[in-house]
Amino acid sequence: MAGQTEKKSNWFVTFVWFLGLVGVWEIGATVIAQTKRTPQNVLPHLGQIVQSVFSSAMVSNKMTAIQIVMSNAGITLWRAGVGFLIGIAVGFLLALLMKLFLPVEKTIFPYLMMIQMIPILGMAPIVLAVTKDINKSRIIIAAILTFYPVATNTLAGLKSVSQQQLELMHSIAASKFQLYTKLLLPACVPYFFTGLKISAPMAITASILVDTLQGGGGLGCMLSQSLKHAMSIYVFWQIVFVSAIVGILSYQLMVLLEKLVSPYERAKA
Amino acid sequence: MSGVAMSNKKTLKINSGKVSTVLLPVLFGVLVIILWQSGILHKVLKADTFTLPVPSRIIGIVSENMPSILRNSAATIKVAFGGLILGSLLGYLLAMIATAFPKWGAGGLTIVSAFNAVPIIAIAPIMTNLTKDFSRDPNTRSMLAKMLVVMITCTVSMSINAYRGFNELKPFSEDLMKSIAAKKSTVFFKLRVPNSIPYVFTALKVSVPGSVISAMVSEYFAEYIIGVGRQIRENIVLAQYATAWAYIAAAFVIGVGLYIILLIIEDLSLKGRR
Repeated sequence: MAGQTEKKSNWFVTFVWFLGLVGVWEIGATVIAQTKRTPQNVLPHLGQIVQSVFSSAMVSNKMTAIQIVMSNAGITLWRAGVGFLIGIAVGFLLALLMKLFLPVEKTIFPYLMMIQMIPILGMAPIVLAVTKDINKSRIIIAAILTFYPVATNTLAGLKSVSQQQLELMHSIAASKFQLYTKLLLPACVPYFFTGLKISAPMAITASILVDTLQGGGGLGCMLSQSLKHAMSIYVFWQIVFVSAIVGILSYQLMVLLEKLVSPYERAKA
Repeated sequence: MSGVAMSNKKTLKINSGKVSTVLLPVLFGVLVIILWQSGILHKVLKADTFTLPVPSRIIGIVSENMPSILRNSAATIKVAFGGLILGSLLGYLLAMIATAFPKWGAGGLTIVSAFNAVPIIAIAPIMTNLTKDFSRDPNTRSMLAKMLVVMITCTVSMSINAYRGFNELKPFSEDLMKSIAAKKSTVFFKLRVPNSIPYVFTALKVSVPGSVISAMVSEYFAEYIIGVGRQIRENIVLAQYATAWAYIAAAFVIGVGLYIILLIIEDLSLKGRR
């Protein structure tokens, strides 16, 4: 019972903070509305953004602002999702390989650390030259960004098993296959999900970012067009909120998946 | 005698382990560079030397454009470092406030961590617009906008990690402080602050690479055209891939350099703890 009330008050506290944030935004918007000539470019009222979502005015291509945002969000999310799945698979396999063969770990791990220093957009032209297709290259870049956190976290999970546990498995003559399926892989699940939680918003960021590089649709493409005033500036504000919401939801989706998959999380609840 | 022989053998074994730790990645790197320079890599990737110039050509371009690369690197480092310091200080301060008022603070941190999932690209153009009236000089106001973006990304990881550092204390250490009737401020400065130091470095390990990347992304949306990230993009748009590669190399050096500096600082400041 006590836990429940605590949970409730936590929700309440978060909600109050959220209201506070909205308040700060509105105060800022009011100040800017009085001091700037084009306040909608700087900081519009939240109400104006909400209004633009429901307005039926055509912005371009006979589509309303929200239709443009949603259809392009679909394109971007699809690419980010495919890249994310590929990145997970590659990252997980690589972590397994590194655990199985020490020389592989020694060879690759330093480069894993360095890969995150390479700017993603820098990789776009190489990937484009290889695939000859902008869509594929967006997927691959999302995959590259995903695979790094998944690989390092999964490897940390595979190594988190204590010496006593390993000795127990050896003493009951467990085969290597059993060792992995019964001990190492279950042990790395929480770490694996930590990797997923880091990389899910990153895959989406990457996909939007690559959009800005070249045409062909996608949230990032619309974002830069809207900033150049090729269409209503509210398209930009809607994209800001949609990408923020999608980023947070992608994180929450991973939390939910972890709860569904793993017994230790179910036990907590 | 045999004991000496044993220990010799042991050091030899450790050394061979250490040697392979260094040697294997270096060999791998050299192999990749040889494959790249000789054009075999291009055949495997089906790329041409126009989009993927050989290393010797990239090095040539770097040395030719050294002054402008240095100028752009300095701009990026300034933004990344300034934002990193501001954001980390702010994050630490937020964690302190949250620890002092746990009931409201923890909820506030939930909101802060939600910012973690907001893409940088959504923040960067807003900051550029917000700082338009800050200064007449486009370079100064762009610099501020970029620093604010970096600051936001760094604040998040620092506040969450420092809060954990303040509160995940060793069992009974808090009770001990209570039993000797320590004041709240004493508990804070003698127990919580020292306890938070390793967590601060955990946060910095995330935010140092993050600060470089968000500095570069914010450059794409900045008014004033300067910085390594912006130059990569400008050169790609102009199809000057070799020059873009030179800036990619510079970005890489900045990122790895800052990370190594952080590791050295961590090693020095945590020496007594390990």
